[in-house]
Amino acid sequence: MSTVSVGDVLEAIKKAKVITSVDKLEPAALLSDQDVDSLDLSGILLSIEEAFGVEIPDEDIDGIQTINDIVNYINEK
Amino acid sequence: MIGISQIGTYIPETMISNLELLEKFDVSEEFVREKIGVLQRARKGPEQKASDLCIQAFGDLKNKIDVNVEEIECCVVVTQNPDFNIPHTSAIVHGKLDLPEECASFDISLGCSGYVYALSIVMAFMQANGMKKGLLFTADPYSEVVDENDKNTALIFGDAGTVSLLDSSATLIPLAFDFGSRGKAYKGLINEEKLYMNGRAVFGFTATVVPASINKLLKKLSLTKENIDRWYLHQGSKYIINTIVQRLELNEDKVVFDMYEYGNTVSSSIPLLLSKDIDSLKPGEKIGLSGFGVGLSWSSAIFQKTN
Repeated sequence: MSTVSVGDVLEAIKKAKVITSVDKLEPAALLSDQDVDSLDLSGILLSIEEAFGVEIPDEDIDGIQTINDIVNYINEK
Repeated sequence: MIGISQIGTYIPETMISNLELLEKFDVSEEFVREKIGVLQRARKGPEQKASDLCIQAFGDLKNKIDVNVEEIECCVVVTQNPDFNIPHTSAIVHGKLDLPEECASFDISLGCSGYVYALSIVMAFMQANGMKKGLLFTADPYSEVVDENDKNTALIFGDAGTVSLLDSSATLIPLAFDFGSRGKAYKGLINEEKLYMNGRAVFGFTATVVPASINKLLKKLSLTKENIDRWYLHQGSKYIINTIVQRLELNEDKVVFDMYEYGNTVSSSIPLLLSKDIDSLKPGEKIGLSGFGVGLSWSSAIFQKTN
């Protein structure tokens, strides 16, 4: 798989219409500090799994707290 | 053909406010209102059992339609929180309602998918055995298993009971059903000592299988979603309902949402919704039902109101 960028991840989340304020997300900031609650995070992770064909097991979730974490996770898979 | 004739319901009067628990669980009112979709939860009395919820619902049914218990040929209860492990709760309901000894009684052990599953099971059972009238109860009092300190489940579930009168002359009849299970994920919603829910697992399951199940049904019947007049989806949470609506691109005005005032009542959620509309459905109208959850399992159906 080619390298995934922050823009690719944001686009996938936007396309899935999981949250409305995708453009305002700061890649390095904690999602929980940007009005993303636990339910939103479930929706975001599902949209990422579907868009990039990756499986994100529960035990990996603690390490995914920012958009940059998501990008790195996909690229390391 | 067997159809749904009328639905009786019972929601206990005692309510537990979620808005008084915001601080305890460190959640906002907006989260409770817009994501969970439950402002208060119905709570049965400590002495009430599943069969008592069924009996109360039957009382409501009798207020809506004349029911002669001598004519009832089967009595089925959907529950996973029965009065006892032995015997089946339907036997207790059978006794309390003084139903005829010739009336078949059995329980169906399913959770949130239980009502739609049971409609197919009981209608087929009645059809196969030439029965004309049957009672299908739902009563799954989760207050008996929820850990009031568990943020993942404490703000969601409410107690209720319903009874659907199934009748060979009823005019709300099934066109098709769809069922399925993801048994490998059974631990996603499980009661060992107390109820445990992996919210993300249940969400991911629901968000993927329910739209697929509904699309499969529509294709099977050569219908489009625009042909369906109302959608009655299991009221798991407002977030999951919104997710299904968004993924299927349903017209929100056609999707019933009503759990703010009593919570997720498991297998009772769909009949609770349907009970409010059943008298106003017009001939020719089609409705979509879908239940999903424990198992993890799902069941969907399209019904039509005939003349």
